[in-house]
Amino acid sequence: MKLRKSFDLAVNIFVNSKLRSWLTIIGIIVGIAAVVSIISMSLGAQQQLQSRLGSLGADILTVSPGAQRAGGFGFAGRDSESSSTDQKNLTSKDILAINSVSNVKEVMGTLSGRASVSYSGKTVNSYTIQGVDPSMWKDFNTETLTSGRLLQLGDSYSVVIGQDLANNVFGKTVPVNSRISIGGQQFTVVGILSNGRGIVMPLAQARIVLEDLGGDDFSSISVKISDVTYSNDTVTAITNKLLLSRGIFSSKKQDFSVSNPSAIQSTIEQTISTLAIFLGAIAAISLLVGGIGIANTMFTSVLEKTKDIGIMKAIGTRNGDIMTIFLINSGLIGLVGGIGGVILGSISSVAVNSLAGVSTTSASARGPGGFTNMLAGSSVVSIPLIIGAIVFAVLVGMIAGVIPAYRASKLNPVEALRYE
Amino acid sequence: MKGKNSAKSIEMEDVWKKYDMGEVEPLVVLSDINLEIKRGEFVAITGPSGSGKSTMLNLVGVLDKPSWGRVILDNQNISFLRESDLAILRGKKIGFIFQQFNLIKTLSALENVMLPMEALDILSKKESEQRAIALLTVLGLQDRLHHKPNQLSGGQQQRVAIARALANDPEIILADEPTGNLDSHTGQFVMEFLQKLNKQGKTIILITHDPNLKKYAKRIINIMDGKIISPPGKK
Ligand SMILES: Nc1ncnc2c1ncn2[C@@H]1O[C@H](COP(=O)(O)OP(=O)(O)OP(=O)(O)O)[C@@H](O)[C@H]1O
Ligand SMILES: [Mg+2]
Repeated sequence: MKLRKSFDLAVNIFVNSKLRSWLTIIGIIVGIAAVVSIISMSLGAQQQLQSRLGSLGADILTVSPGAQRAGGFGFAGRDSESSSTDQKNLTSKDILAINSVSNVKEVMGTLSGRASVSYSGKTVNSYTIQGVDPSMWKDFNTETLTSGRLLQLGDSYSVVIGQDLANNVFGKTVPVNSRISIGGQQFTVVGILSNGRGIVMPLAQARIVLEDLGGDDFSSISVKISDVTYSNDTVTAITNKLLLSRGIFSSKKQDFSVSNPSAIQSTIEQTISTLAIFLGAIAAISLLVGGIGIANTMFTSVLEKTKDIGIMKAIGTRNGDIMTIFLINSGLIGLVGGIGGVILGSISSVAVNSLAGVSTTSASARGPGGFTNMLAGSSVVSIPLIIGAIVFAVLVGMIAGVIPAYRASKLNPVEALRYE
Repeated sequence: MKGKNSAKSIEMEDVWKKYDMGEVEPLVVLSDINLEIKRGEFVAITGPSGSGKSTMLNLVGVLDKPSWGRVILDNQNISFLRESDLAILRGKKIGFIFQQFNLIKTLSALENVMLPMEALDILSKKESEQRAIALLTVLGLQDRLHHKPNQLSGGQQQRVAIARALANDPEIILADEPTGNLDSHTGQFVMEFLQKLNKQGKTIILITHDPNLKKYAKRIINIMDGKIISPPGKK
């Protein structure tokens, strides 16, 4: 029998299959749909985690003066750590040195200290101030804006303030475009951050406001790296470069430290792999159930077709051809289940996406989105996933169909003919 | 190689068929069958229900193998043939006609008739289709080609089954009570058609209960309790 004819007969059996078979196909559709949406969501979650890895500041290293300092990641929480130190400060020479290290994308020196702040007749004596390069800061900032804008090239007496100062410190709100006095100088508020407790201003103005700091010194240097994967190597490279440029030949005398965000990074990586294992297990179980469903359908189908198998044998159809027909048939069940499952899975993951979209925007006002948002926020249904799912469903179908098809081919023709 | 009338078509030598019944004694369905059917014969097999007629026909049609003895078809002992060779032998040499018609219900009349040709894969699809149409036309079904079995009357279904049996132009037609489910008029058509085929040289083996139909056969074999009771034909 030609393969084409076996295929036609398999299609014929499939098209004429009883309701029961179709119900099993629905089971396969649901199984594949679960797999597709789980995989697309986990891919989306991984992408989100990757991008949040950046926004959490895992791609930002911080160089601070003084040995063995436990460094932070971004600006938040690193308020007054490095304001005064008896060690040699960091200078623009160090920035130049760091800039030449590979995997370094951008280097920005920052100043931090404290100064008095006045607004609307009230004064706070010591408030956290940070001086940054206004054009580079946007690349290092990890906070979101609630109103106004970030600092930009050409800003001078402009500041971006945190939520704390904007709402709590003066007992009244400080809106964008307010004039506030910092260390005796007048500034305009251009933006308000959703979080954070300090005031961010251009470096030049910070040098005026924070008088106790010398002309070319920085409180710390922030380094943005290109590839987070090599952050550990980059930390080593920066350390070696600085030791050399600062003329220190014994690492015991190291008078600076480079913070390493690898701790949080490994936590995140662990989370991703736990998530992948968990989701993979669910997917495997769904597929197993789907495969058993196909095998069950195939056994049923062979039983339903017993008489026809007897007839086909009586008129000269070989066992191998009967096996082929039923294998193709089970592959078809997998194919239809796979196509249906991909459609249903895509629809459900798109639906979950738009639902999560609503909750993400409402959640972002309150702070960083939770794990559920991360999971469902941006599922990815890609072409390889679609093709992979369908091919996989066909394979599962054929594997599940091997034993029933073999049984069909080995039926005794006389007994098969007697079957009603 | 083979003379037209003297050639043996089917030979059974000392054939037994038993069914293992587990705890109980094996059930002997056929015992000590010796039979020779020549090419071009028209043989009727009669006997009471359960006597082993269908079992014997299934052995002749190589659907089944004997428990003991030799069934020789086309000079080959079928006990020594592999399942796939038996299938090819059936497809080429044997045409079955059943009491229950046994058409495949999801295929049209035309597709049912084409199936034996496509199983053997000798003719092209186009040639198979042309031959199937020709056969169905001979049987008066040229305007029922695309009907499914459940859209046909019993007599029409049996005519499709006859066309299917003739698809590969087999030497031997085996008919197990082909008129059992038909009215007498249609039954007569079927018998006359079988007779016509016999006149064209085909070997016909017919199982029947109906004494009126025995007249079509040239030879009658009586089976009782798995044994042939009329003297075996030795002409
Ligand atoms: N698979 C089997 N296992 C056990 N016994 C069987 C089996 N197949 C047939 N038989 C027995 O073999 C005997 C002969 O059956 P067979 O079908 O050949 O009878 P028959 O002469 O064709 O009868 P009928 O005229 O009613 O069709 C019966 O008693 C039947 O019960
Ligand atoms: Mg019978």
